[in-house]
Amino acid sequence: MRTSKLFLLTILFSLFVLQNIFAQSDYEKTQNFKTRYKQLEDAIKNAASLDECSVIGENILKLKDDFTSDKVLLDKSLYPDNFTSLFEKIERALEVRKGDFTQIVQLTTEVGSLKDKVSELSQKNEGLIVQIRQLQIQTTKDAQAIASLTKLVAQLKSNIAQRDELVRGIVDSLLQEFVKTPGTLNDAEKQAIFKKVDNGNLFYNIERTISDNMQFIKVTQTTADDLSKMKEQFRDFNKTWRQIGPKLAEVYLSRKDKAAQIASIDAMFADWNDRINEEMWQQVNKLFREKKLALLTFRNGNQFVNSVTSFVDDEIKNYGIKSKTESENTFYSFSDSIYFKTVQPVWLPVLIENNLMTEANKDSVEKRIASWKEIVAPASKWNWIYVVGIIVIVVLVIAYMMKGRKKLPPPVEPKPENESNV
Amino acid sequence: MRFLSYGFGFLLLILAACSSLKLKPADYAWPIENVLKVDNKGFVDEQRYSFTLKVKSLFFEEFADSTNFTGKELRIIRDKIGFFYITGKDFKNVYVFNTDESSMVLEKKILVNEKGLGAPAFNQKTPNIELLDGQSKYLLNNKGLVR
Repeated sequence: MRTSKLFLLTILFSLFVLQNIFAQSDYEKTQNFKTRYKQLEDAIKNAASLDECSVIGENILKLKDDFTSDKVLLDKSLYPDNFTSLFEKIERALEVRKGDFTQIVQLTTEVGSLKDKVSELSQKNEGLIVQIRQLQIQTTKDAQAIASLTKLVAQLKSNIAQRDELVRGIVDSLLQEFVKTPGTLNDAEKQAIFKKVDNGNLFYNIERTISDNMQFIKVTQTTADDLSKMKEQFRDFNKTWRQIGPKLAEVYLSRKDKAAQIASIDAMFADWNDRINEEMWQQVNKLFREKKLALLTFRNGNQFVNSVTSFVDDEIKNYGIKSKTESENTFYSFSDSIYFKTVQPVWLPVLIENNLMTEANKDSVEKRIASWKEIVAPASKWNWIYVVGIIVIVVLVIAYMMKGRKKLPPPVEPKPENESNV
Repeated sequence: MRFLSYGFGFLLLILAACSSLKLKPADYAWPIENVLKVDNKGFVDEQRYSFTLKVKSLFFEEFADSTNFTGKELRIIRDKIGFFYITGKDFKNVYVFNTDESSMVLEKKILVNEKGLGAPAFNQKTPNIELLDGQSKYLLNNKGLVR
């Protein structure tokens, strides 16, 4: 009896001690819950793989279990949320994060297949460029060689376009990643970017795209239309690169080799733009050179105006010194065979659209050509006499016709039959 | 007789109109205490229930020093009937306040530990308030120590 009493007392005492040992402030419990909840939220944000997400899922369940006994307290103290709503929130956040990873896995696979296609096309392009060069070197070009050259150029053009499209696909998918996570990226997000950039061999492919495009300009004869399209392609690609370039530079701040590669791509884009611009002006220069018109070389709108002005001034100065026929031939060759036939309708719209020259530049050139025409090939006086004569004849004919119409007798209206009957 | 009954009815009506409207029961209990840091002007700012309170005088009352309060933490909780319980680290007392116009009026000063509290924390134990300090536990209400 005494033993059982002692046992009961011991239990009671132990319970009392335990209760005191584990006496915990409700505030502390709430803070503890909030801290652990916050840690899980951060873990979700920083999760780098689906496996990590699964571990976080288990930890969420554990947190729920640990605090279920305090649900009533937490329901009141977590205002405006409550125990249930907070767990719903975090579980939803975890699902969304898992979804991101599923998407990343899919995109990585897509990028992988794109990468293979890009490599294949790059190899083909290399071969084509070599073949085109060989054909160009051939001294005697027969019809077959020319046809083959044309075919190869078309094939190369199409290949480059396809490859550009693929690389753009990789860049765009990367851009989506940046748009999805604006602001500063955390370590996990940075890792995902590294992975994507490496998987897509992105930097190499961008460099390759730019250099192949530049190479294409070098080895082929480009038209205004080709260059206009190239410029458009450059603008699109450059715009995308300018969106992701600084962000990539930020991500790769700690990796010097990659940072240097990003800077080099920036420079390559600038070169690509310069190369297209240069090619456009070279083509215009070439038009004059082919007709043996010795204009000073020009590389921009102002230089073009200066070059034309200086050429026209020389021609005006030499008028009367050179033979009249020679001066006239030069004028017609410049004006009718080159400027108004090709430069003005074909090249000027492209140059103006791409801000390589202005409407004012164009007006200056055309004004100068008009003043040159006044001297070298003025409109003949006889022409004006013909025009005035024709106008006089037309006026006389109209006057005669109107006079003739006035002399006609007024029409007699027939009487209705019914009237005579009455 | 009829006049008398009308008069009585009128009197009842006046009495009913004079008595103040009372909404009850009301439960003011906070589920958990709040831990508030005193700013350099002597104010604490409660976010959830949205009030601010100047506590400079409380420090003077407890420590006879109204200058050493910046950054100190006060623990505050409200019981079911609406009294506020305030204490803090090194406090010997728990202060029970009632609300008044733009102020709190001391209702009771409860001496808890002569040496000062080490790590006090309030818990809501309706209708009382529990005060924990390490392994010590006290039960309080607006009249004083219950246990």
